[in-house]
Amino acid sequence: MLEKKRTVEEINEKIKKGDVQVLTALEMKKLVESSGVEVAFKEVDVVTTGTFGAMCSSGAVINLGHSDPPIKIQNAWINDVPVCHPGAAVDLYIGATLMSETRPFEYGGGHVIEDLISGKEVELRATAYGTDCYPRTQLRTTITKDDLNQFYLINFRNCYQRYVCATNSRDETIYTYMGKLLPRFGNATFSGAGELNPLMNDPDYETIGIGTRIFLGGTQGYVIGEGTQHDPKNQLGTIMVRGDCKKMNPKFIRGAAFTKYGTTLYVGIGIPIPILNIGLAKKTAVRDEDIKVPIVDYGVPVRDRPKLGVVSYKELRSGTITINGKKVKVSPLSSLKTAVEIAETLKKWIEEGLFYLTAPVERLPGDTEFKPMKQREKAFLVRDIVQKAVTCREDEEIKEVAKKIIEYSVNHVVVVNDKGELTGIVTSWDVTKAVADGKSKLSDIITRKVITARLEEPIEAAARRMVQYQISALPVIDHQRKVLGIVTSEDVTKILGR
Amino acid sequence: MVRVLLRFPEKIVNQPIIAQVLLQHRITLNIIAAHVDFHGGNVLIEVPKEHVEKAVNAFKERGVFVSFPKLIEVDKDRCLNCGACYSLCPVGAISIGEDYSISFDKEKCIGSPCGLCVDACPARVIKLTKELNLSVLSDEERGSN
Ligand code: SF4
Ligand code: SF4
Repeated sequence: MLEKKRTVEEINEKIKKGDVQVLTALEMKKLVESSGVEVAFKEVDVVTTGTFGAMCSSGAVINLGHSDPPIKIQNAWINDVPVCHPGAAVDLYIGATLMSETRPFEYGGGHVIEDLISGKEVELRATAYGTDCYPRTQLRTTITKDDLNQFYLINFRNCYQRYVCATNSRDETIYTYMGKLLPRFGNATFSGAGELNPLMNDPDYETIGIGTRIFLGGTQGYVIGEGTQHDPKNQLGTIMVRGDCKKMNPKFIRGAAFTKYGTTLYVGIGIPIPILNIGLAKKTAVRDEDIKVPIVDYGVPVRDRPKLGVVSYKELRSGTITINGKKVKVSPLSSLKTAVEIAETLKKWIEEGLFYLTAPVERLPGDTEFKPMKQREKAFLVRDIVQKAVTCREDEEIKEVAKKIIEYSVNHVVVVNDKGELTGIVTSWDVTKAVADGKSKLSDIITRKVITARLEEPIEAAARRMVQYQISALPVIDHQRKVLGIVTSEDVTKILGR
Repeated sequence: MVRVLLRFPEKIVNQPIIAQVLLQHRITLNIIAAHVDFHGGNVLIEVPKEHVEKAVNAFKERGVFVSFPKLIEVDKDRCLNCGACYSLCPVGAISIGEDYSISFDKEKCIGSPCGLCVDACPARVIKLTKELNLSVLSDEERGSN
């Protein structure tokens, strides 16, 4: 028997007639569960998906029109956010992660895009070197979206098929693009819409490619190809999209700020999946429990961060996961509520004949690889420069410690207990000060809250921490807090040359 | 009910001050959170509005530092319902609903002694704001933590 099929043209014909059958991805899962794939395939023409998450590779191209006298813009700022100048005289690209020079980490390119879409007036400043044809060197004006010729969202990478779950093993809170991560696995975060994610519902990209019409930021947009870092073999596909910002709705496109990381843009995307064959009916029934991601330790700032286990989106959605036997609360970072709303809006558009499906002119590649960066220099780890630490016990005399400082000509003595575990640190300055103040008990001058490093950390990360806390050495410890050695700022400087 | 933050300096931390105040002044109060370390102790209490003045004075007389913690205010209209705040709350004041919307239980939230969710919000819609301007405290005492 010939396998039953359905075409995009047939679906569009049904949309025109007003009898198309559309379900959201959530509804499709229920239908397949209750009635089976065969019935679902027979009854359903289109499944709508949705996602609303932070997407750093977002940005918008604007064309300002020419000033009089004309200017060939070299540098430009909108609301103090440097917007880069990618080409000719008055085209600008507003990158979501570019930050305001006066309000860094709070306001950035993503907010500029949102403000413009909301109809707000923004301030534009520009400078140029001046040419015979473009004599102007300075520009200052205000603009709204109506003043722009073109205002298009062009996002290099969107819609990650799935993403990792992040947590933090360090003794301090860290702020990452995966949000705020509390010390010692105090919490975890994840991103992505799971079973509602567009690419997860068409994992072989049978219906998604160049020219696929989509919901983008509250209006209709297009997929213009695979996204950067598209990694189909590992189920980490991405798409590149384009859409007319002038028609977007600020509800589905929002500037955001991640503390100490930077600014970004939340982008709402929904893709309709035409149920062309029974395979697609089955694929769109994918459930959160089938989608698994690794739990990754963002406390170790290297490219291949340590993995601590695997969880499904179902577990992540429950609000609590288990890491090393401990119950840990987990935050979603992308809004499932808005993702559901997007899938429902798209469903309504199709049912009401406001949105027609397109077949891609070229499908997304299924075999490309995501390679790491080619680097000429070797990355040094703390392991490469760690030295033996000079240690002492808490009950030693200050005099003894002073002797050690002189004998080994060091500035730091690490305080350990019987098991060799870190309990504090004493510097030559502390000892000098103790003598001046007439103190004799070592325990009075020990610093208890010690900033530490790990063997597998890049030395840049250790250097950053020394600058941040204004200290000149970090004891290196293992997960049991056993002291393995020490790194000093001199040794770091020798390698990094600064 | 009004939330009041009590700070017990190291030298009085071992005295039964709360019990004394309760008995002597016949005040009712709720202990919401307590934390003691080597610098002393912090206790967050809730007192009925009509007892606030009496309670504050009674604690001040006994050497306790008193202040009104700031409480959180959330601009729900601008909330992304992302849930980034959810996992940071140590007292379970933030929850994710059936329809995946995020809600705050102001009764459970302990406010400025915690404040962990504030800088985790990518939409910057959570703010710590002062509760009431009560006359029993000077501006300095009322200040933030
Ligand atoms: S301030 Fe603290 S207690 Fe209140 S909601 Fe935020 S995290 Fe929870
Ligand atoms: S982090 Fe902010 S925007 Fe996100 S749900 Fe919480 S309050 Fe709303």
